[in-house]
Amino acid sequence: MQPDIKWLDDPQTFRVGQLPAHSDHKIYADVKEMEQQKSSLCQSLNGTWQFAYSVNPQSRPADFYRVDYPAKKFGEIQVPCHIEMAGYDRIHYINTMYPWEGKVYRRPAYALGKDRTEKGSFSEAEYNPVGSYRKAFDLEDGLRGKRVCICFEGAEQAIYVWLNGQFVGYAEDSFTPSEFDLTPYIKEKDNLLAVEVYKNSTAVYLEDQDFFRFSGIYRDVTLYAKPKLHIEDMWVKPVLSADNQTGTMALQMKISSETDYPLEKATAEYVMFDGEGIECMKGVLPIKPEMELPPQILTKVIPWSNRNPYLYKLVVTLHDEQGNVLETAPCAVGFRRIEIRDKVIFYNDRRLVINGVNRHEWSAEGGRCITMQDMEWDIECFKRNNINAVRTCHYPDQIAWYDLCDRNGIYVMSETNLESHGSWQKDTIEPSWNVPGSLPEWKEAVVDRARSNFEAFKNHPSILFWSLGNESYVGDDIEAMQQFFKEKDDSRLVHYEGVVHNREYEDTVSEVESRMYATPDDIVEYLENEPKKPFILCEYMHDMGNSLGGMKSYIDLLDRFEMYQGGFIWDYIDQAVYAQDRVTGNKMLCYGGDFDDRSSNYEFSGNGIVFADRTEKPAMQEVKYYYGLHE
Amino acid sequence: MDCTNKLQVIVGDATIGVRGERFSYIFSGARIGMESLVRDGKEWLYRTPMPTFWRALTDNDRGCGFALKSGMWLSADCFIKCAGITVSIDDAPVTVPMAPANNVYGGTVLADKAAVTYVYETITQPQTNVTVKYEVISGGDIHVQVHYAGKKGLPELPVFGMRFVMPTCADRYRYEGLSGETYPDRMAGGIAGVYEIEGLPVTPYLVPQDCNVHMQTKWVEVYRSTVLDNSCKEEKETGICVRAEDGKDIAFACIPYTAEELENATHHEELPPARRTVLTVLGAVRGVGGINSWGADVEPPYHISAEEDIDYGFWIGGVKA
Repeated sequence: MQPDIKWLDDPQTFRVGQLPAHSDHKIYADVKEMEQQKSSLCQSLNGTWQFAYSVNPQSRPADFYRVDYPAKKFGEIQVPCHIEMAGYDRIHYINTMYPWEGKVYRRPAYALGKDRTEKGSFSEAEYNPVGSYRKAFDLEDGLRGKRVCICFEGAEQAIYVWLNGQFVGYAEDSFTPSEFDLTPYIKEKDNLLAVEVYKNSTAVYLEDQDFFRFSGIYRDVTLYAKPKLHIEDMWVKPVLSADNQTGTMALQMKISSETDYPLEKATAEYVMFDGEGIECMKGVLPIKPEMELPPQILTKVIPWSNRNPYLYKLVVTLHDEQGNVLETAPCAVGFRRIEIRDKVIFYNDRRLVINGVNRHEWSAEGGRCITMQDMEWDIECFKRNNINAVRTCHYPDQIAWYDLCDRNGIYVMSETNLESHGSWQKDTIEPSWNVPGSLPEWKEAVVDRARSNFEAFKNHPSILFWSLGNESYVGDDIEAMQQFFKEKDDSRLVHYEGVVHNREYEDTVSEVESRMYATPDDIVEYLENEPKKPFILCEYMHDMGNSLGGMKSYIDLLDRFEMYQGGFIWDYIDQAVYAQDRVTGNKMLCYGGDFDDRSSNYEFSGNGIVFADRTEKPAMQEVKYYYGLHE
Repeated sequence: MDCTNKLQVIVGDATIGVRGERFSYIFSGARIGMESLVRDGKEWLYRTPMPTFWRALTDNDRGCGFALKSGMWLSADCFIKCAGITVSIDDAPVTVPMAPANNVYGGTVLADKAAVTYVYETITQPQTNVTVKYEVISGGDIHVQVHYAGKKGLPELPVFGMRFVMPTCADRYRYEGLSGETYPDRMAGGIAGVYEIEGLPVTPYLVPQDCNVHMQTKWVEVYRSTVLDNSCKEEKETGICVRAEDGKDIAFACIPYTAEELENATHHEELPPARRTVLTVLGAVRGVGGINSWGADVEPPYHISAEEDIDYGFWIGGVKA
C-alpha cells in the first residue's frame, strides 16, 4: 500500500489501513496488573519527538519516514502538544468562517457539482502546514513477541503513519482514536515511527468548530500489545427493568487471535462485582471471534444516577487451554433507563432535568491538550456547583473524561466531531454549498465519525444522548448518522439542533427539539403550540465576559412545562491562551487577534463560567443557585 | 463651651469649609463639588466626586449595540457643567458668590448642619440636570442626596451614580450585602452577609469591562493606609463608611479604575498601574443580560430609563470603632 497525498483532497478517503473503532476498555496481562492499573501490555510514546515544520506539502521533507533519512536538521516537539503552541505555526482563532477566509477561495469537493472535485485544494495549497514527526523506540518487555498496535488518541487533522520505513495507514477525524496495526513491521529494538500531520484536509470542512485552529498530535500516543487472544471490542448491555430494582445484563465481544491460534479450548470468564465488590454474576464462555452472552437476570440492581452514580464492574478474563490468563479487561457498568413518554424524557422514571454546561477541552497552557488534573478539577467544579450534565462540544473528549463522568454521575451528551457552520451560516443562513448536506461523497465520512463516537464510548452509563454534531445544517447525510445510532443503540436518545433550520427532516433527525439561544418567549411559543418533541437548549446563557443575567427566566420554565427539560450553558471555560506580554514580560491571557491572526473573532471565545486559568467567574454562584433548585 | 458638638463652618471666599472633631470638609465652587474630605487627618478625595453615567461596556452591551444607542452618556460621564451652587447653614441660605457677602460673618460659624447643593447640567442632547446635595450634620456625617431629572428623548443609561476617586489604593474594603459580584439580573445566588475584600480586585474578564458591582448593600467601609501627604511620617490604616439610608440599599463598586480606563484596555495588562481607589455609589444599575452576546438586550426590567427621575441618597461617615 502506497500513501497518496491526494487523499487530503478527497472526502471519500478518510481512513486507510486504520483499525475499526472499538470500545475504549483497558487491557491487562493479568488481574494483578488490573488491580494496580498498570498494564504491561501498553507503552506510552509520549515525550520528546523529532520534528520538522513545513508551511505546505510542497516544502515538506517527503522522505522523512525513511530509516536512513538524515534528520539532523530536525527540531524537537513534545507529544502531546499542538504545533502552534510549540511555536512552529501561528495561533489562530476564528469562529464560524473557515480559517482561510479572505485569503483563499475554496469550495468543498462535489458541493457544487459532481465535476467539481477541487483537486489539489489541500495537497497543493500554499498554506497547509505539515508536521513531520519521528520517534525512535524499543519495545518494552510486555509487548515483545506479540501483535503490536498503535493508538493516537487525538491527532489533528489528517495523519500518515509509517513504521520502519513502511507505510501503515492514514486517518482523519481529529477527536477520536486512530489506531493502526504495526505487527508486520515491528522489531524489538530500534523502531522508527514517522507521522506526517497535515493541518488541513477535506476534514477541515467538518471540523469548523468555534475554537482555536490547531494541528498536531495533541493527545496520548500509546503502543499496545495483543496477547494470543485479545478482546477487540466489548459491548455491555445492562438493562434496568421497569421496577427500577431488577435488571438484565448481556454482553457482546469480538475476540481476535494470533494466526492459527486454536480457539476451541480457550475460554472467557466473566465476573461482575457490585459497588461493594461482591460478585453478582459470573460464568465461563467458549471463545468465538464474535461471542455473545444473552441477557442474564439480576434480581437486585441499584440504578446509576446523578445522585447515586452506582457502578458495577465487569471483568472479562481470557484463558488458554491450560487455564493461563492471557488478557483481562474491566468495564464499568451502570444500570439506567432513559425514555420518552408522552413527549417527556424520563430517567429511571424521574423527569430528566438538565442542569448542564457545554465543555470544550481547554487549558490556557496547553490549548486542547489537557491533563488528568484539569479534568479532575472540572468534575469537582461541576459537583460543587450543582452542574449535572455536560455536552462534549463539539467533539468527543479524552477517554478519561467519560470515566470521570461515570464515576461522578454527570450526564453526558456525547457529541460527534462535526461542525460545518462556515458552509451555511454566513451573514445569513445560506446553505448553497453546505457540507455534508445530502452529498453522497461526504456521507461515509460523517457516518464514520458517528461510528467512532459510538464504538469507543458505548459502554459508558453516563452517556444519555448521542449528538450528531453542531451547527452543520441538515440533510440526508446527517439523517444517516441518526439512523446509524438508532440501529445500534436503543438505550439512548439522539440529539441534533440543526434540524430547526430545515424542518423537512424533523421526523427523522433528533428525538428532542433542541435550540440554541432561544429566548424564554421562543420556548413558550414552541411548547404552547402542539409541540412534537421534548425541548432542551443545547446552548443557552451565553456567558461572554460579564454576563449570565436573567437565568431565572429559563429556570422558571422548568416548573411551567414538563416538556422543557433544561439546557447546557454556553460554556464552561474561557478559551484563551497564555503568552508573554512584550511590554511587561508578564504571562498574559491572549485571544484571537493577539497573534497577528486574521481574520479572527477576537474575544468571542471567552464565554466560560470559569476563566481560562480555571478560577470561577463571579457568575458561578448564580449557576450554583439555579442549578440547585431542580435535581 | 457649647460648641463641641457643633459644626464649625468657614464661609470662605471660594469655598465652604466644614470642620469638627476628627473631620474637615471643603466644598468648592471652582472645582464644582466636594474638594476635600478629611477624616482622622487623612484626605479621602483626589478629585471632586461627580455623577457617573457610564460603565465600561460588557460584552453583552457591545453585542447588542448598546453603545450605538447610548454612547452620548460616555461623553456625559467625562465632561459636565455646573449650573448652580446653593449653600445653607442651619437651613438659612448663604449668599453665593460668597465674597464679599461673607465679610459679615466675622469668624467661624457654629451650626448644627450645613448644606451645599450642586446642580449639574449634562452635555447630552437633550440636556438634563443632576442635583447633588451634601448635608453635613453635627458629628460630621454627610448625607448625600442625588436627583437625576428624567428627560424625554434621552437614551437608556448604562448606570447612574456618584463616583468618588480617592488619592491612593485602598488596602481592603468591607461591606454588608451579597456575596460576590452581583447585578440586578444576576443576584439570586448572592448570599447576604458581611464580607471583607483584600486589595481592590478587578474581575479578570478576558477584555476588561464593567465589574465588581455589589447589589443590595447596607454599608461599605473602605480602608486606606497610604496618603499623598509628603509630610506624613507614619502611615496608619483608617477607614470611611458609606451607608445606605435606613431601610434602603445601595449598590457600589470599588476598584482602582474609572469606566473610561477599563473601556480603553483590550487586556488587563494594558490597564494603568493601580494608584487610586474608585468608589462608585450607584443609584441605578443596568443588568448584564445573557440570552446571547450578539444582539439580545438585557431583559426589559433591568434597563435604566433616562426619561424617568432617579432619586437616591446615602451617608458618608467614619467606620465603627
